[in-house]
Amino acid sequence: MGYMDIFGVWLSVFLTLSIFSYLYKDNPFYKAAEHLYIGISAGYVAVISFWQQIQPNLFGRLWPRIDSDADIGIFKSAWYFIYEIFNWVSTLGGWLDRSIFPENGIKGFNEISWMYIIPFILGIFMLLRLVPRLGWLARWSIAYIVGMAAGLRFYGFLNSDVLMQLKAATIDFSGDWWSIFNGLILLIGTLSGLVYFFFSKEHSGVVGKVSKVGIYFLMIKFGASFGFAVMGRISLLIGRFDDLIIYNSPQNHHATMWILTAMVALLGIWAIFDKPKTEDLKV
Amino acid sequence: MFLKRQMPAIIAIGVGLFILFGHFINNPNIQGFVNNDATQWFDIIASFAIFLGALNMLKLQVVKVVKRSKGWQYSLLAIFGFAFAIFAGFFFRGANYITLTEINPHKVNILVEYISTIQEVDDPVLMASRIEGSLASYEIPKIFISKATAESFAVSLSSIANNVTLGVKPWGAHVQIKGSLFSWMFFKIFTPLSSTMFALLAFFVASASYRAFRIRNFEATLLLVSGIILMIGRVPVGELVPWWLVSTLIVFGIGALIAPFIPNKKLLFGIIIGGITLSSGIGVLLDWNLAVNIPGFLSLPNISEWIFDYPTAAGSRAIMIGIALGTIATSFRIILGIEKPF
Amino acid sequence: MDLLKKIFIALGSMDRRFIFLLVGLSVLLPKLYPDLFTLPIKPSSHSLRVFDEIDALEENSKVLVSFEYGPSTKPEIHPSAIALLNHLFSKNIKIYAVALWPDGNFMATEAFSQVSDKYGKKYGIDFVNLGYKPGGEAVVKGLASDIRTMYTVDLLGNDIDSIQMMQGVSNLSDLDFIFSLSAGYPGSKEWVQFACDPLGIPMSTACTSIQVTDIIPYVENNQIKGILSGMPGAAEYEQLVQSALYDRSVTVEPGKASINMAAQSMAHVVIVLLIILGNITYYLTRKSSNKGGI
Repeated sequence: MGYMDIFGVWLSVFLTLSIFSYLYKDNPFYKAAEHLYIGISAGYVAVISFWQQIQPNLFGRLWPRIDSDADIGIFKSAWYFIYEIFNWVSTLGGWLDRSIFPENGIKGFNEISWMYIIPFILGIFMLLRLVPRLGWLARWSIAYIVGMAAGLRFYGFLNSDVLMQLKAATIDFSGDWWSIFNGLILLIGTLSGLVYFFFSKEHSGVVGKVSKVGIYFLMIKFGASFGFAVMGRISLLIGRFDDLIIYNSPQNHHATMWILTAMVALLGIWAIFDKPKTEDLKV
Repeated sequence: MFLKRQMPAIIAIGVGLFILFGHFINNPNIQGFVNNDATQWFDIIASFAIFLGALNMLKLQVVKVVKRSKGWQYSLLAIFGFAFAIFAGFFFRGANYITLTEINPHKVNILVEYISTIQEVDDPVLMASRIEGSLASYEIPKIFISKATAESFAVSLSSIANNVTLGVKPWGAHVQIKGSLFSWMFFKIFTPLSSTMFALLAFFVASASYRAFRIRNFEATLLLVSGIILMIGRVPVGELVPWWLVSTLIVFGIGALIAPFIPNKKLLFGIIIGGITLSSGIGVLLDWNLAVNIPGFLSLPNISEWIFDYPTAAGSRAIMIGIALGTIATSFRIILGIEKPF
Repeated sequence: MDLLKKIFIALGSMDRRFIFLLVGLSVLLPKLYPDLFTLPIKPSSHSLRVFDEIDALEENSKVLVSFEYGPSTKPEIHPSAIALLNHLFSKNIKIYAVALWPDGNFMATEAFSQVSDKYGKKYGIDFVNLGYKPGGEAVVKGLASDIRTMYTVDLLGNDIDSIQMMQGVSNLSDLDFIFSLSAGYPGSKEWVQFACDPLGIPMSTACTSIQVTDIIPYVENNQIKGILSGMPGAAEYEQLVQSALYDRSVTVEPGKASINMAAQSMAHVVIVLLIILGNITYYLTRKSSNKGGI
């Protein structure tokens, strides 16, 4: 194994055990790992979003690859000059290699899609949220997202989550008695659960009794959700233990054992010296 | 004021109506825009929103460091982490690879041995046969973070092939290829942190269940019983729960349900004992000790599957329809301009 | 009897770190001594349904596999992904991979690198990885309409039109099946709402345990054809695939989920016992305080 691989193994064991150290109590190892996680995850999603979406689908549509010898006219030349300015900035004045803006445009599309200037501008507006005086411009971008999501979800939820679910709640009386019984359970459970969520009428009398039945079905559902939640969390714990066991192998120089020992010792020393300060105890 | 208040509302209403009615307007240009370009715009703006979140996080951490707030030293780590991810994503590709052309067919096994020194080879025979099928041009299945390491390895391969060339994966692909610096960061830093954060919850779920899960009333009992049945029934240990234990628990459950209606505790106790004895006797008579003879309702996995498939599904469906109606109502309010969450 | 009561009450107020230790040991011991903890795995009806749906697909069918999970949920879903790829590759089915989560790219790359070589599958001919796109349901909707407006290049930067298996595939209607490996939003729900229901494409899913109760109405309604719920579902599917492939003379090593079922079972038993203990303590404490109040 190369040095980077071995270093990577030891680092990942250290970070795993740092997070687990929270089980003892909040401590510097945990805080450090937590802050590192915040920084890395923010950078990670930004990088991925850029290379998977912004560069190919936005810049690639605004500045598609052109033949360097072709005559593109004055207007397009000016447009690609803007591209070169972006490249100059991204390479810190030509000091770094071309990365985001390859030579002669971005491979992918054939023609410039001028209307993609609109999402580009809306995207810049979104970033202006960080500038207090211009932050209101982000509302336009958010409005687009909100409007788009509203239009998309209206149809999707109505079709799949309402109409098809209501259709599924019907009982097929041509089946055997067991399937009819199960169908009745589904129908009664669905209807009584919906009655429970209907707050425009007081839950008394017949409505009260039906909503009580609804609560029972919902409690069974929540119990099942709890059971599955426990199952899920235990599965994730098993996954981490799997990795810690693998990293304790001789090829990895028993990383888990050494780091665990060191961490327990250091936490013990920290616990001894980490007494509450006198001013914190004063009321 | 119009630009700050009314304009966003106009945008939201316009886009919402356009997307909604786009389902029903049979014009290819409109359909094309609604189905393709509008969704692309959404994706692009969503990506910028991700940038905004990342930059906002950075701003908060920098402010903490500048103001020397409590725990500012940890914020330095957050800034370092962000800077490292940006460096690996935009400034350092670290995705060097080696291509061999016109490989000497007699040196294939030597090549496999060389490759095994830089990465684990599960099946040397399979690798050798793959190399033999690509003697004209073969890319070493290892990405090098450092160009110097790639070059020194390439030198060691010079006798195996006619031509040994070094290449670098294109920008953009470098963030996805296993072996690059960015993927090293993902697998060695991001993955352990992210996975362990979630795995921690297993302990807290156990502790919280122990302290807070109490049978205070009938509803809580239902919740607890269904949770326990599913937890045991969905895992292999559920198969090991014997039929007589299940029948005893069913009798106890029936006893608990009828208890409020039987004031005489001795009578209730007698009914429960009688029920257990009867069910056990029937089981012995019908030889339920043989797995094939056990009725379905006395198998814990079957009970848990039934609970999952019917009462749970009914409750889930009620919640799903409720949420969907709420979502539709909110979407409608946004499209009509009544709701302005921006 | 009084002593027993006192023991239970004392246990009721034990430090939570002792509970953490119990849970940790219940997971660790079966991992360290697997021979002592072997349990049979019996497939549920839902896992059987998933298996049957995939097995019914013909050779050269086109299946879209969507990776919407990350390292945090990898232990639950990745075993299903590996078993699925084994199943699909063994039947010579073409796989089109996409990701609605950024982490899904790495999960997909790892899964393919683990499985494709065994079946001699070639990138671009037998499987292709188109990569991640942000946008959730907007991406699904875009794919349902025209794949090429979403993806111009694949994950490795190859022009999509230069990929052999992309010939004749313009949108989701050209595919035969969708399989969603889902850990949350965006995930299976979005595939149902924006692709499978509108276009009538059959779909199955492997999802995290937490999501299962939210997805079950779709399964009951046949909008989703079978579900692999978390690690137990993955273990059941692994067993089914392993025995089916064994019958077809293909050896598949035991999957990770199957190996971990003993640890999963022990942990569940410990937590159930803790809940029962907690309730016994609660009952005894309440009884003592009621007597004291008279």
